[in-house]
Amino acid sequence: MLCVVRAALGQLAELVGLSPEEIRSMVLAVDEAMTNVMRHAYHGRIDQPIEIDFRRGQLSDNGVLRDALEIVLADKGVRVKAEELRSRALDDVRPGGLGLHFIRESMDSVRFRHQRGKNRLQLVKFLKQPEAREEPRGGAECN
Amino acid sequence: MQLNTRRSARVTVMDISGEIDLASSPQLRTALLREIKELKTPRVVLNLNAVSYIDSSGVASLIEGLKASRDAGARFALFGLSTTVREVMQLSKLVKIFEIYDNEDQAIAE
Repeated sequence: MLCVVRAALGQLAELVGLSPEEIRSMVLAVDEAMTNVMRHAYHGRIDQPIEIDFRRGQLSDNGVLRDALEIVLADKGVRVKAEELRSRALDDVRPGGLGLHFIRESMDSVRFRHQRGKNRLQLVKFLKQPEAREEPRGGAECN
Repeated sequence: MQLNTRRSARVTVMDISGEIDLASSPQLRTALLREIKELKTPRVVLNLNAVSYIDSSGVASLIEGLKASRDAGARFALFGLSTTVREVMQLSKLVKIFEIYDNEDQAIAE
């Protein structure tokens, strides 16, 4: 099912105007987040529910409201403590532990909390401002 | 993920295509460790040109292959990294620890 979610996310991200590189990066982050939920919150079970809420809106970026893509993953697995979500040092070359690093590198903001019996991971990607362009005379055309 | 293996006297080339993720990375790991540890192939080369996606579990499989080859005194190389694979390898800061080549001829050259 991961591949289905990845494909859907890619299409949604395209709709909000992310670049192909940003889309690949965001899809990787969400995929890693889902993988972590399955591995750690659900102890390897792949048949448990993960809610993914995908929303475009305005969010604060150091006090300034900016267009953003907000993705929230929620699960009812084992409670995860925020302090457990640490990336490991990359100079230690070994398998495992790269997922969190990928998530943090790919997204602008990563926040975790446990609320109302659910683990909730909020991932935010701020959208680039569209470049100003001259409106065509005579109003917009619709083909 | 699809994995096709081509063996010659001293080199095994694995052509990998599709997505390497949580579901398929164990297959890659098993194939790599078999080739290096059981078959004792002196050089294992992976063609990643047709890999459309790789996640951290896939990268972990590559690291396991690299470590196993070092332990066995074998060589382990990658070539033809697709844009997606290259981006993930760069993100993992692992580009420098792997032998990475543009094409198969370079990867299998002595």
